[in-house]
Amino acid sequence: LASEASIGPARSLAERIRQGDASAESELVHEFSRRIFVIALVRTGDREVAREFVQDTLLAVISALRKGQLHDPDKLASFVHGTARNLINNELRSRRQKPRLEPLPENLAQPSMIEELEQTERVRLVHRALEQLGNEDRRILWLTLVEGHKPAEIAAQLGVSSEVIRTRKLRAAKKVADFVRKKMSRT
Amino acid sequence: MNCKEIEDKDILEEYLLNRLGEPDREEFEKHYFECDSCFSRLQVGLATQEALRSQPPSLVRAGSPRVRRPWAWTPAWAVLALLLAVGMWSQLTRHHPVPANSAATQAELPSPEAAPPRPAPSLEELAKVEPPPYTAVVLRGAGDKPRETFHKAMDNYARGDYAHAIPGLRSAVKASPRTPRFSFYLGACYLLTGETDLSIATLRRTASLGDLTYSEQSHFYLAKAYLKQKKVAEAENELRITTRLGGERKAEAQEILRRLSK
Repeated sequence: LASEASIGPARSLAERIRQGDASAESELVHEFSRRIFVIALVRTGDREVAREFVQDTLLAVISALRKGQLHDPDKLASFVHGTARNLINNELRSRRQKPRLEPLPENLAQPSMIEELEQTERVRLVHRALEQLGNEDRRILWLTLVEGHKPAEIAAQLGVSSEVIRTRKLRAAKKVADFVRKKMSRT
Repeated sequence: MNCKEIEDKDILEEYLLNRLGEPDREEFEKHYFECDSCFSRLQVGLATQEALRSQPPSLVRAGSPRVRRPWAWTPAWAVLALLLAVGMWSQLTRHHPVPANSAATQAELPSPEAAPPRPAPSLEELAKVEPPPYTAVVLRGAGDKPRETFHKAMDNYARGDYAHAIPGLRSAVKASPRTPRFSFYLGACYLLTGETDLSIATLRRTASLGDLTYSEQSHFYLAKAYLKQKKVAEAENELRITTRLGGERKAEAQEILRRLSK
């Protein structure tokens, strides 16, 4: 379900950027840089390239918003997503390095550094959470997320129903997510 | 697409495995751009995938039937196990760089020994860098081009010729930018040859690759690089991150922080 709460602030964010509010640009970077990074990482499989796409996408979005090119401010999230997707797809199609745009100003680039640290912390916490899982549950997650097996394939080998595998997988994933959320909310 | 559908159809996993068709992928991306809950789950999923990839094999395979024999992963696990051993070794032999050796260099570890206390150190002393230990590993199926380039470069490294190791390491990183081992040793070589700015940029990139072992090592050596530049606040920040990551450099980072605070 789309977060309805985000629609209001998103609209004012787009409008504030159009009106030249610099703090609104920082908010936009904070709001979307991690999401853009994840899209780029999943689509390109390269962290370094993904980081470049975050910069390029944010620059393109901010530039368009300053010019008032987003006609429906309610669609800010879709606009950012579409810009990221197009830049990534164009790059993957052309498979060549484009001239780099000017880097984001230091003050705008800060949130992505914080998010990188958060991601490192998240991986560390996940390691701890995985240690607390039973061997079988950890293995089911590994077979799913690393080996890419479907529940039915895992079930066939382990001699249980795929429903059992699905339930155990969801439960294990929830345990990991709850552990990470709890620890990260304390910091 | 809604949250329930995403859970019911394993959309998140399929996305992480890059197996969704373009329409589903786009729809899921649009969804998590506006849904904090799904994006939070996606971030944990990504972190879980990364963490599982670096799990020791005993934690994910032992004691249960095999779905298939993933030989392709064997070299990676062996490297990881060896790296852990090397990491332990580095704690124990901080003052003696380990020479390159052949495959079976899981040698005897020296007996544990506490690091000698250093009285009233100057910044220069704290910035002193011992080369990170390196042990050559020859593994079945590990003979791809970047790895060969890396091994050749590391022959120079093992001889203490860090400057001549750099071109080969740079090629290896260029060919395989996501391999933290390659970029970590490149960053170390820059540091050992006085190219501190390049070292900082390279180690920072290594730290961001998300590999826990090399992330911690990179933050530690970043601290050393900043100490060389007499940027104490930056060095302290890197040391605090090293400490927070809770790995093998934690004690050493804490000790340097303590000495800096004097």
